[in-house]
Amino acid sequence: MSSPLEALTASLAEPAAGWLAASRARLAREGPGLLPVLFPALARRLGRDLLPAGLHRDGAMLVETGAWRRCDAAGLALAEDCAPDDASLVDLFLHGDMEERIIVLRALGLLPITDGTIRLLGEVQRTNIGVHFEAAVCESNLAVRALEHGGWNQEDLDRLVLKAAFLDVRLPRLFEVFDHVGAETSRMVQGLATEREAAGRDPWVDTNRVVARAPVDGSLERLRRGLADAREEQRLAAAEGVAYLRDAELLKLAAERIDHESSESIRSILAAAVTRA
Amino acid sequence: MRIFEPHAHMFSRITDDYEAMALSGVRAVLEPAFWLGQNRTHVGTFIDYFDTIIGWERFRSQQFGIHHFCTMALNPREANDDRVNDAVMEILPRYLEKDSVLGVGEIGLDDQTSKEEKYFIAQLELAVTHDLPVLIHTPHRDKVKGFARCIDILRDMGFPMERILLDHGNEETIRVTKDIGCVSGFSIYPGTKMSPTRMVKIVQEYGVDGMIINSACDWGVSDPLSVPKTVDKLLQAGVAESDVSKLVWDNPVNFFAQSGRLDVGSMDRPAARDLASTYEGNSVLRGQDPGSY
Repeated sequence: MSSPLEALTASLAEPAAGWLAASRARLAREGPGLLPVLFPALARRLGRDLLPAGLHRDGAMLVETGAWRRCDAAGLALAEDCAPDDASLVDLFLHGDMEERIIVLRALGLLPITDGTIRLLGEVQRTNIGVHFEAAVCESNLAVRALEHGGWNQEDLDRLVLKAAFLDVRLPRLFEVFDHVGAETSRMVQGLATEREAAGRDPWVDTNRVVARAPVDGSLERLRRGLADAREEQRLAAAEGVAYLRDAELLKLAAERIDHESSESIRSILAAAVTRA
Repeated sequence: MRIFEPHAHMFSRITDDYEAMALSGVRAVLEPAFWLGQNRTHVGTFIDYFDTIIGWERFRSQQFGIHHFCTMALNPREANDDRVNDAVMEILPRYLEKDSVLGVGEIGLDDQTSKEEKYFIAQLELAVTHDLPVLIHTPHRDKVKGFARCIDILRDMGFPMERILLDHGNEETIRVTKDIGCVSGFSIYPGTKMSPTRMVKIVQEYGVDGMIINSACDWGVSDPLSVPKTVDKLLQAGVAESDVSKLVWDNPVNFFAQSGRLDVGSMDRPAARDLASTYEGNSVLRGQDPGSY
């Protein structure tokens, strides 16, 4: 699909187009010091209309533009125009309002990874604001791409998955992160689930999908209980986990569960897993 | 009755105030940037304060269904302080572009010094640059002279009067401001400013055109419910409900809508906030609805 900038250009009419052109010209003259004055006006001047949804790849950078708005693409354009240094980029985020911070985070998805990127990923991880977490982690492969930078590693990614569990953000929304879960991820997510259950709360729905990837102590028992859980979404996650893990004991239990399972889709998953075994 | 409270320093109020205001009909508040009760010693504390009133304070307000807006400025009292005045002027342009900033204010005069006038004029120029209306703080001492001086400065600059709200007025100043085309503000504040009863008399004499009322509630002994209490007094005195509504909703909304940043339709419903979210890692809500416990 077209890039966010191409989509923006195609969708802009006056007076927004004129404002953006004038701002880019001003930025070229005055430099990145102008960004703190331009960014707050982006949503107001360019609008919040959504751009066409789709996947856009630029080298190693992959973004899903379903939540991108005109103002987000314009923010990316301004950032690309003047290539702000890390201090300027971080300043834009830290002294931006909620909207400006979303624009900065979306732009990071199509900008090179720098120390500033890592600092802002840390801010997103620290602050628990759902819309910011989603803009940084759910709409591009930024979190995984950041692994190429020395300041961001598997431990950071583990904490990110745990934060997703804490915020109840679904695992499939974490771009490419599923491929990077390991035993430490399982331990952390399983610990949170145990804590929630002790408090009478539902565990994160993707808990069993994660622990099946890299089981730790207690994971097989959790999957076993998941197959008989009263909540269908928990049984579905457990069934998918069991199908992925292909543990003989769990597959034997899965075979026994098929006739007791009320959901047709879960029955199908269990039957396929048992047949493959 | 739906109320737009156009002057409340919620930064220094507690959540009980927000809840009581919401239950009393306050649908939106405007928080002018001002002095915090003691002088600040460096610009960083202004930056943190400005970030708070565009961020955290909005979040707090929205928990109770109240839309939150603000105005930004170097206040006249600290305009006299060379430790901060020029540095605050340097950071103002970025804050004057924020979406929730509906005006420049509070600016104006306090002790009526030459430095106050210098920064007053400089900020009026910023208002022109950023296309914003202006909320003017008028002195609590030697008030009539201060009003007259503010008006002289505005006239000298050719500033459009319909984009000026001259605040903290009283029975004396209304005689000066009623015919010059600005909006006249009255702060219903115990002890030092107006009372609901005095405000009723002013409305009965002058009507409600070009007037707004506010609580100016802050860290002093003040009353965040003084606007709804004045609404009751006005209705009891026989002022038409449509006029009272104009005073506490239409007039402030129309004034601040001149910023071009006030989505009036969005205020048809109370502000909404995702209760599962947090602000800056502050899990104050912990998933709870602050209105039901």
